[in-house]
Amino acid sequence: MTRLTFPLSRIEGHARVVIEVDAGNVLASQFQAVELRGFRHFVQGTPAEQMPVIVPRICGVCSTAHHVASVKALEHLYGVTPPRLACDIREVLLLGQLIQNQATSLFIFTMPDRANVESVFHMDESEASKKQQLSIAQRALKVRKTGTDLISLAGGQFIHPVKAHIGGVSGGITREAADPMIMELEAMLPVACQLFDDYWAMSMAMVERIGSWGDDEPTYYLASTQANKPRFNSRELRVMGPDGEERASFAPSEFDTYLEFHETEYSYAGSTTYQGQIMRANSLARINLTENLGTPRADKYLKRFTSSFGKPAHPIMLFDLCRGIELVYAMERCMEMLSEDLNYMDPKVGYIPRDGIGYGLVEAPRGPLIHRYVVENGLIADAQFIIPTVHNMRAIERALNVAGKRYISPTAINTELENAVGRVVRAFDPCIACATQ
Amino acid sequence: MSAADTGLPKFAILQLSGCAGCEVSLLNASEWVEKFRLVYMPLVISTHHVPHEVEMLLVSGGVRNNEDVYNLKQAVKHVKKVIAVGTCAISGGVTNLGDRDEVREVFLSQSGRLHLPQMLSKTHPVDSFVDVDLYLPGCPPTPELFMAALQPDQGFKASGIVCGECGRRKLTDMRPKHLTGFQSGKAQPDICLINQGYLCVGTSTRGGCRAICTRAGHPCVGCRGPSNSFIEKESSVWLENIQRVFERMTDIPAGEVNEALRSPQLSMFLFQFSDYAGGTHHPRSKDKVL
Repeated sequence: MTRLTFPLSRIEGHARVVIEVDAGNVLASQFQAVELRGFRHFVQGTPAEQMPVIVPRICGVCSTAHHVASVKALEHLYGVTPPRLACDIREVLLLGQLIQNQATSLFIFTMPDRANVESVFHMDESEASKKQQLSIAQRALKVRKTGTDLISLAGGQFIHPVKAHIGGVSGGITREAADPMIMELEAMLPVACQLFDDYWAMSMAMVERIGSWGDDEPTYYLASTQANKPRFNSRELRVMGPDGEERASFAPSEFDTYLEFHETEYSYAGSTTYQGQIMRANSLARINLTENLGTPRADKYLKRFTSSFGKPAHPIMLFDLCRGIELVYAMERCMEMLSEDLNYMDPKVGYIPRDGIGYGLVEAPRGPLIHRYVVENGLIADAQFIIPTVHNMRAIERALNVAGKRYISPTAINTELENAVGRVVRAFDPCIACATQ
Repeated sequence: MSAADTGLPKFAILQLSGCAGCEVSLLNASEWVEKFRLVYMPLVISTHHVPHEVEMLLVSGGVRNNEDVYNLKQAVKHVKKVIAVGTCAISGGVTNLGDRDEVREVFLSQSGRLHLPQMLSKTHPVDSFVDVDLYLPGCPPTPELFMAALQPDQGFKASGIVCGECGRRKLTDMRPKHLTGFQSGKAQPDICLINQGYLCVGTSTRGGCRAICTRAGHPCVGCRGPSNSFIEKESSVWLENIQRVFERMTDIPAGEVNEALRSPQLSMFLFQFSDYAGGTHHPRSKDKVL
């Protein structure tokens, strides 16, 4: 037996892929997450109310999702309902993170695969083009910066936000602060759309070359945004079958009735299944579970997507296109929300701490994220982080198997395999810092 | 590749065990794109080794496992200047909350796993293994601070302490009797957070971050580390200074402040300099800290 090891790059965190081959037959594919910091263990004993400051450090890319999930878990535990205004401001915060993440995944992680370069910072561009509209890298960084600027505006700090408090948020968004942000979004939306149009065209060209958008079988899908006008500050999870039928919806507190967690010997991240079945979370799952997004440009892209690929759509490289649709949606939706008054009341109510078990759910860029805290004597007795990337682990490995079989024969290994491994993994945009914590 | 050798100064980023927040912050600055050539950063470039003749290597994250040790030692071989970026690289960061026996046991129990990097019993700072030329503290450092580290001759100016960049007024007639929890109360604008009972340590935390947290109404947790007055001293000297500030400005019992300073959300930052210089090392020199 031969073990082919592929180091990974242009993903968040440290991981590698191992494909086991025997006489040209692919035996198994392993996605190995090779880091571990141990948040679940070292937060034990922490005063519960300090969790919203500590857990964003699980991941600098997904920090906002952890910050809000943490606050929601404690609100659930203390039995407090935040005001509507606070929920809206948290939505802006989560959409800011979505912009930042989807722009990074599209233009920095996966566009180089389409342009056949090792990095967006090393793209082959003419000086004339750069002079006219800045380099692709600079435009990509500016688009993603609108996301972090939104996080600063709604969250206080730009990477590890501080403004979501138990019972609400620490302050509203004034008109003076909202207006320049709307102007920035207005200026950057056409730039994002143009980059996405180019990305879509480059993807079509790549698929022409390699012959497939992904030929793995359909799976189940998991998301927590609702069917119309998605909300990332979400309340319940939904499961769709491979046939497009909705199979279940459940509250975060019921997750272990529906999802099974499996430890994995070869990786510091485990995997989850839905009633024994492989599932996918992240952009493609959300788009499959969405009827309309409710903003004009994004719905136009959604229509184009559905008429090209059907519904539900299954090939895995469509995850990438769905990220672009969501990028456009999040920018448009933030402009709408910031046009409304987000400073009309004190966005926070009081609370009385108590012991118990609490669950907090948000739709993170990679799928539904749940924090579960057990609090005894005001201290964390146990914390569980139910991470979207972990829901995708089995789907990633099965897709790697398919890629392996496509490019490995008894007589040769096609050198395209290494590229295929990168494309498969990046389609799922896994976050290893989160998956292992 | 058209830009293969552009003559621009080369820099590289090695990410050890951390959250990638430092990298995300760097990507928030786009000014460097035309001024430097980024040659190694696995997060954004598919290259698996640090090439030769690199001017600056930025290291983020702490040393958590044996693969981190190996990658770090390999990476510094051919670089001119090593910059430790962020709390994790400087002290081990948030994972030091697990530097206690029952958590160490958990990590060591993982060490028999095949094919996976071996865990160390705790997270180590980068300078436990290699020499560091510059420390850039912050969780994460702001994009402006990254640019200042990349361009040392551009005359970056910062206040000595966060207070100098905050803009909130200190009042003499507003003396709280107890701490306001981080999650409680509503911070009034323009008035010093200490006057409002928040455990803000911006009075002695080094400036340069432009006080983004306190301006947003959240007390400073000290992620930039102590100001130059305290950086070469033990953390206890820093903590005593913070306590004196609270004695002077508030009527909060000393024990209450003392206990809160040692709680996890502050202790992950307040012990990041001299205490983690390591047994035989001298304290890190203030001249090496941006």
